[in-house]
Amino acid sequence: MRALAGPAMLLVIAGGFAIYRGISKEDAPSRDFLELEFAGANVEQSGSCYSLSTVLIANGVFGGTTRTWKAAGDDTWTLGLETVSQSYNGPVHEFQNFTFGKSGQRVRLKSVDASKGRPTEIGKNIDLLLEAPNARHSTPVERCLESGATGYAYRAQK
Amino acid sequence: MRFMAAAMLLALCLPLTACKKEVTRQEVAAFVDKADNAARKRFAPGICELRGKDFRMKMKFQGHEPRMQPTEMEIGRKLYCANAGSFARIRQYRLERKSMDIDISTDRHTARVTADYVETMPYYEFGTQPATPDDFTHFQVVESRDESVVGIEDGDLVFLSTEADAHQSLIRKGSVDIPYD
Repeated sequence: MRALAGPAMLLVIAGGFAIYRGISKEDAPSRDFLELEFAGANVEQSGSCYSLSTVLIANGVFGGTTRTWKAAGDDTWTLGLETVSQSYNGPVHEFQNFTFGKSGQRVRLKSVDASKGRPTEIGKNIDLLLEAPNARHSTPVERCLESGATGYAYRAQK
Repeated sequence: MRFMAAAMLLALCLPLTACKKEVTRQEVAAFVDKADNAARKRFAPGICELRGKDFRMKMKFQGHEPRMQPTEMEIGRKLYCANAGSFARIRQYRLERKSMDIDISTDRHTARVTADYVETMPYYEFGTQPATPDDFTHFQVVESRDESVVGIEDGDLVFLSTEADAHQSLIRKGSVDIPYD
C-alpha cells in the first residue's frame, strides 16, 4: 500500500495539471470545422469555393483585431472581433460577432451582430467577407481546383 | 518512502498556504503604486498581468471639444491588453496620481479604489498620420477619476474592474517639458 503512495500522488499532480490545462485552454472550433467550404448568400447557399479559414485569413482577422471564438451550440461557433478605434471625440469600441454553423459539408453565416455603423445583414456580410479571397485569388477548396468549377461570387483564376 | 510521500504532500499543500484570502489597505496601496509604475513604463505585459481574468473596463471620455458628445465604451481584458500594446508607441508620457481613497469591503476580499489621475501625452489629430513620434503640436492632458475594484486571484492582487470618467484638454507642445523615454 505504502509503495503506491508516491505514484498515486504523482498521478494526482499530473491529473491536476491536465485539468488546469483543459480549463485554461481558449475555446476554438476544430480544424475540420474551419476547413469546411463557406456558403454563399444565394438561396441555394452554394459553396463559395473558399474554406472558412481561407475567408478569415484573407480578411486579416488574425491580424490587428482582438478575436474570440465561443461555442454557440452544436457545430455552431461565434467569432467575435473587436478593436478600439479613435474618433474625433475619443476612443470608440467597435465589434462584430459572426455566428457560423455547419450545414452538410458547408459552413453558413447564420447571424451577425455589430457595433453602430457596421452592416448586420447576412447577405451583405457574406459578400463583404468574400471580397478579400476573390481579390487575392486565395487558394480554393479542392472541388474548385478543376477547370469549369463554379462557386458563389467565385472568379476562377485564368 | 514515507519521507518522499510527506515531501510530496508538503509540495502539494505549499501553493495553498500561499493563497491570499484577505486584502489590507497597505497591500492595496502598494499594488496601485505598482500598477501606476507599470503604466509609466508603458510595457503591455506588465500592465496586463495586473488585470484579472474577467477584468472589465468602462470608460466615459469627454474630448477637448465641449460641443461634442462624450464617447462611452466597455471592454474586456483581452481588448484592454491589446490596447495597452499600442501605448508603447508613445515616447513622451507623464502620469500623476492626485488622490487615492481605498475602501476595504466588509468581508475583506475586495477593495474599492477611487483615484484621480492626470495623464499628459502627445496629441495626434484624428485622421492624421504622424511621420515621426515628434510630429505633433499639442499635448493632451487627460484628467480622470478612476473607480476600481481590486481583488485576489490565484493568490495575487488584481484589478477586477475599472470605471473611468475622463476629460481631455489640449496644451501647446512648448508649454510643458516631458522627457523622452
